[in-house]
Parts: sequence; structure tokens; C-alpha cells
Amino acid sequence: MQAIDHYAWTNRWRNRHPLEKLLPALTLLLLTLVLPPLRIGPLALAGTTLATVGGAGIPLKTVLGVLAAPAAFLLAGIPFLAISLSFNDGFSLHFSPDGLQLALETSVRALAAVGCLSFLTLTTPMADLIPLVRRAGVPAGIIELILLIYRLIFVFAERALTGRQAQAARLGYSRFDRGLRSTGLLAGNLFQRALARARRLEIGLAARGYAGDLKVLQLEWPLSWPRLALAMTLVGLTGLASGWI
Amino acid sequence: MTAPLLALCGVDYAYPNGVMALRGLNLTVAKGQKLAILGANGSGKTTLLLHLNGTLQPTRGAIRLDGQPVRYDHRALTDWRRRVGLVLQEPEDQLFAATVGQDVSFGPLNLGLSEAEAREQVNEALTALEIADLADRATHTLSFGQKKRVAIAGILAMRPELLALDEPTAGLDSQGVARLLDALQQLHETGATLVFATHDVELAYAWADQVAIFHQGTVLRQDEATVALADRDLLRRARLQSPLLLELAQLLPEPLLRSRDALLEQLRRRLKIED
Repeated sequence: MQAIDHYAWTNRWRNRHPLEKLLPALTLLLLTLVLPPLRIGPLALAGTTLATVGGAGIPLKTVLGVLAAPAAFLLAGIPFLAISLSFNDGFSLHFSPDGLQLALETSVRALAAVGCLSFLTLTTPMADLIPLVRRAGVPAGIIELILLIYRLIFVFAERALTGRQAQAARLGYSRFDRGLRSTGLLAGNLFQRALARARRLEIGLAARGYAGDLKVLQLEWPLSWPRLALAMTLVGLTGLASGWI
Repeated sequence: MTAPLLALCGVDYAYPNGVMALRGLNLTVAKGQKLAILGANGSGKTTLLLHLNGTLQPTRGAIRLDGQPVRYDHRALTDWRRRVGLVLQEPEDQLFAATVGQDVSFGPLNLGLSEAEAREQVNEALTALEIADLADRATHTLSFGQKKRVAIAGILAMRPELLALDEPTAGLDSQGVARLLDALQQLHETGATLVFATHDVELAYAWADQVAIFHQGTVLRQDEATVALADRDLLRRARLQSPLLLELAQLLPEPLLRSRDALLEQLRRRLKIED
């Protein structure tokens, strides 16, 4: 998570208008969901990887790392789709070619979709997407919630990490049962701290004139129509190309 | 004589659980001064600061802003907090937005400024604290010292007349402290009134015009820094120690030297002569 966030804030395409990244990514995502997966899938995955690595300058290792976790889940799911269980005459396990085909299609489609989204998350920090979400008509209350959660995740991830390290230094994880106990204590402690912190944040915000509305200046990037058009054309070509293969 | 910018007279404050945090506290903040509220850990300094911008309301006693008794209705509080900016000790308690520039813009926008005006005040505050280059950085990737500056900038961008800081130097390394004090000195020269709570007698001696010695919820004495900090008995009562620089300076026949370098220079010269 920390790595994704780091690259989102520092990649070469950080200062591009978020729409230039969001629109192509979502369009390609849509294509992978509606077109035949074995054709569009590999193309989409190659395209997003090329854009993430070659365009935004994010190391291939990081991209593969982000894809690895969902890929592992998909891999683990293949046997369950490929092998069917039947109770017709007693109990039997069938290996069905149709099932294998289905499993393959599902996995490729899902992986390609993850590729589109990871391109977006790796190149665009959450903060940049907020103005678009706002313009799309999401209520202010929900946007404030997103903002606060985004900010607090990092505060608590850090507290949880240092808390765990401090417990480990006092041998809190030296045995399985101690580890369970320590984890419980840490969770309880983080909960209390969250409440105390919320109260102090309220004081801090009140000192700055908080009146029930978390207004901040919106980030502004110039939108380049030619770049957006180019990206959309490439996405369109990818869709067409999948038809010719 | 003009009324002080902010005055607390006979202020008592009891927590909801009945524990008295402030008792019969008197404090005046004159316009343009640098005042240090000096007290040991747990003496109630933060509680006192929370009274300076109306976060807490005294159970007894009066607070006057420009000689006028304060009110606690929404409009009065808004105006009060525009004039008196409070920076909490823990910057994490104050920062909430995703980027530095956005976070600093929160206060100005709450004052009802237009986006252009807010942007200008944000830039001005970031420049004053020498962190203009951080404007587009993600808040959670900053170092502690940087977060501290951003928290101060967030208040500064509201252009308060009085800036109150809770333990501003806590957790900073010596270079961080020096840079922060430089920035605060610049602000002071442009007319800002500064109040800070600290337990650091050396800092109070080097930096403040006036010192309020604070102990168990009350100000024992508010006076010129060189006078109040020379009162060893009083400091002992407040569980504090007189500053080393002051002790050394008193050993010299020359008038009090408050700068570390000037004092060391004097001492070096003296020791050489007497060798």
C-alpha cells in the first residue's frame, strides 16, 4: 500500500490532469468486461503495463508486485472452476474442458481489469480524483469521509507498526498465544487512540474556523485535449485489434 | 493606556470530572510582545492555551479581547479564532487534507475568502515558513519537522494577530528549532504577537520578552524574562531550573548577555585573561 501511494505521488504522470488517466483506464476496463476476454485481456494487460512502466516510469517490479496478489487468488480459483463436482450417480469429480475454458477466460478478464485499475492507482493519487468525484455529483459528506479516511489510514498504519514493534521488543510475539494477546491489546489501544485523536482533531480544526465543512483548494492541472484524444485512440485501437486476432 | 490584546482575570477552570485545572489565573498578552508561558509537564499549559482561542470556557473569571469581554456564540468565536491562532503541539492533530497546499487553504476558505485570495494567503504562509516547495507534497510523506511547519502555516494563512503555539520546539532537532525560531522572529518583526507554552527555560530566556511562570493551574509571576527567570526560589517552586545562560551571565560583571554566542565569546575572553 505504501509503495502504491509513493508512486502515485511521484510518478512521471503525476502532474497530468487526472481525467487524462481516469477516462482511458475506465474505457479500457469497460472493453475488457464486454469483449472476448482471451483476445482483449492480454492486449489490455500489455497496454496498461506499457503505459505504467514506459509512460509513468514506475518500475516493472512494482507493477508485477501489485498484480501478484490478485493473480494468486485467481490461480487458486482455477481448479474450482475447471473441476466440477457431481452427485448424480454417487459422488464424482469431473474435469471439464468447458470448465477450464471458463476458468481461463474469467482469470484473464479479471487480471486485465486489475491491470486497468492498478494503472490508475499507481499513477493518480486519491486527492487528484476527488475533484472529478465531486463533479460527478457525489455528496460533500461522503467526499469529506474519503478525505479523512485517506489521511488517517497512514497515521494509524504508522501507529500500528510502531506499536507492534514496541510490543515485539518486549517479546509480545514470542509465542503464538502471546502474539494473539498482543494483537488484541494493540487493536484495543488503537481504537482508544482513534477516539482521543478524533477529539483533538476537532479542537485543531475548530482553531482554524471549522464550521462543518471541510473546504480546501482544489488541485488544478491543465487538461491536454490532444493527450486525452491520443490515449482514447490507443484504447480504441486496442479494442479493434482484439477483433482481428 | 490601551487595553492589552488579550487578558485573563481570575480564571478558574474545572474539568467535567471536577478536577481543577486552572485556579485564579491572571495573564495579559500585550500587542506585539513575545510571551513564554513556562511550566513543568502536566502543569496545565495546554488547558490554558485552549482558553486563549475560546476552545474551553472558564468556569469562573473573565477573558477580555481588546478590553471587551469575550462571548462564546458562533459568530464571536469565529472572529476570535481569526484573530487568535492556536497551533497544537501534535501536528497530526491539525493536518487532515491530502496535500500541504490544500491543508493550509482550509483556514482561509473558512474565513470566506475567494479561491484566489485563499491561494495568495496560502503561498504567503508557506513562504514565510520556507516550505513553499512542499505545496504539492502529500501530507503523510512529510517529516515531523515539516509537519510542524505546515501546521503553523495552516494557522498563519489566516493572518492572526496573535499566534499561540503549544510546545513549538518539542520533538525538533537543534537545527529544526533554530529554523523555526528564525521564521517566528520574522513574523514577529512584521507585527505578530507570539505566545508559546514551553517547559524549556533556556528557550524562554533566549527568545521571550516576557515570561509567565506557571504552576499548578496558576501564573505565579508574569514579568520581563531576565527578571522572572532570575527568581530562583520561584522557579524551584514551579519545578523549574533557572537557565544556564542566565546563571553564567550573572557571573560576569557586564550587563546580561542573552545570546549564547555573545556570552561564550565573553567567557572565552575572560578565561584567557585570567589564565
